[in-house]
Amino acid sequence: MEKYLSENNLLVVENLKKIYSSKKSSFTAVDDISFTVKKGECFGLLGPNGAGKSTSMNCITGFYPINHGKILINNIDVHKSPKLARRFLGVCSQDDSLDTDFSVIDQMVTYASYFGIDKKTAQEKSESLLKRFFLDDKAKENVESLSGGMRRRLQVARALVGDPQVLILDEPTTGLDPEVRRELWDIIVESREKGMAILLSTHYMDEAERLCDRIAILHNGKILDCDTPQNLITRHAGTNIIEEEIRPGMKWKRPPNIEDVYLNLTGRGLNIN
Amino acid sequence: MQTTFWGIYCVWLRYFKVFRKSLIYGLVTTFTEPILYLLSFGFGLGSLIGTIKVAGMTLTYKQFVFSGIVAQTVMFQGFFEAAYGSFIRMYYQKVFQALAVTTITIPEILWGEILWDASKASFSVFVILLIGCLTGNFSVLGSVIVFPFCFIFAMLFASLGLLVAAKARTIEEISYPQYLFIFPMFLFCGVFFPLETLPKYVQWFAWLLPLTSVASIIRSCLLGLPVIPISILITTIWLIILITWSRRAMINRLVK
Ligand SMILES: Nc1ncnc2c1ncn2[C@@H]1O[C@H](COP(=O)(O)OP(=O)(O)OP(=O)(O)O)[C@@H](O)[C@H]1O
Ligand SMILES: [Mg+2]
Repeated sequence: MEKYLSENNLLVVENLKKIYSSKKSSFTAVDDISFTVKKGECFGLLGPNGAGKSTSMNCITGFYPINHGKILINNIDVHKSPKLARRFLGVCSQDDSLDTDFSVIDQMVTYASYFGIDKKTAQEKSESLLKRFFLDDKAKENVESLSGGMRRRLQVARALVGDPQVLILDEPTTGLDPEVRRELWDIIVESREKGMAILLSTHYMDEAERLCDRIAILHNGKILDCDTPQNLITRHAGTNIIEEEIRPGMKWKRPPNIEDVYLNLTGRGLNIN
Repeated sequence: MQTTFWGIYCVWLRYFKVFRKSLIYGLVTTFTEPILYLLSFGFGLGSLIGTIKVAGMTLTYKQFVFSGIVAQTVMFQGFFEAAYGSFIRMYYQKVFQALAVTTITIPEILWGEILWDASKASFSVFVILLIGCLTGNFSVLGSVIVFPFCFIFAMLFASLGLLVAAKARTIEEISYPQYLFIFPMFLFCGVFFPLETLPKYVQWFAWLLPLTSVASIIRSCLLGLPVIPISILITTIWLIILITWSRRAMINRLVK
């Protein structure tokens, strides 16, 4: 415990193991993973569909019980004292969990109240967040009248309304247009600069490379490797320029990137040395 | 897991805000049904039948059926709000899932749910009690005494609804318990006619179901009849079983 405290770690995941069990079968979705996310750090979780990213995140928020290990948010065990630990946790889940019974602004204000934030502060905070997310003109509208991308943005905005120190974003940019995606990147960078510890999962490799200070590649519930994007690339994709034939007769030269690392580690790589 | 009054209140308040926002819808769905029953059975049928004898006392049928409709309202409002409402909130809207990653815990969410359902049922009950008192069918003191009990009985049926929602794979499956459990209770547990008119073995069976006891207690309070002790025991047992079972079932459904 002491070693984590000294390192300014806002999120500690230690030997996390999660087994889904039903009467018929049991399945190990997350198999003994450990990592930490520091104040002001963005940590990326990459991996194929079904790798266990969402499962890990659901365990980290304390929503799912775990079979082994420990999760500390701000040095508080989330499974032992969920109320205390989650006071500074912001979550954007992969599933849309917006409350369709409320308008956009009421949604934010009500959500803030679940963190014990008073009404006036909540109102101000919500308005400024909606503005930042370019949703202020939709404030009075019902959630159901928003487009898919707007709903996604609102869910990220809602995750920020409680002034979190640890932010968990499960594929926040899925379904966003390129411009809005960049806007969201800016917001993530701002949040990181404000000192939040961010845990991000994504299927966009460029996004991970751009935003994440460190990346873990998850496969079948195990972390295959975890390091800075540059170190991962050097280690698993080399430093040589890669020549790729994208179409018969059309070749493309490019430096190695995180996608090569991902493909190499999870099994469909070109085995470049 | 930690449960605080504040957390339960936050959840309750969420429901109340939604209710207040669509007040007209809420009022229409909460009040029309019992009022229609009152009109049709109370004033319609009631003026045909005149008086009946229950537990050695002579009552007007109107009094009898009015008090039965209080019990029926407790059951219908409690059950339907919980069964369909919580299924929608859990399955489609994912309200429970969104709440459960804030400082609110799942036990608090489920208490908030049941207490809200019971509150909503109590709004309906209040209106019927008022009508019953104004038309001289209920004793005012009895109405005041019965009101908190109605809230608890509504919690019983709300837990039943929550259990059904937790077990139903699709929203259509809620119809099974609705037709096989709720409607039979509605028809055979002493809401519309005294149980004594039924064959003995049907009476025994009816007494095992929660609505018979609930209706009996409510009627006793409202009309000044003696309370049958076993009815208190049966209600308490159902209440404990359903609350415990529904909470466990819903937690298993939500948390994997
Ligand atoms: N409730 C559940 N019960 C049983 N198994 C589950 C459950 N939820 C997920 N799984 C299994 O656990 C594994 C990990 O799923 P998870 O949702 O964590 O993947 P993921 O990495 O988030 O994938 P994606 O990129 O598709 O979102 C999958 O094999 C999935 O089938
Ligand atoms: Mg996922």
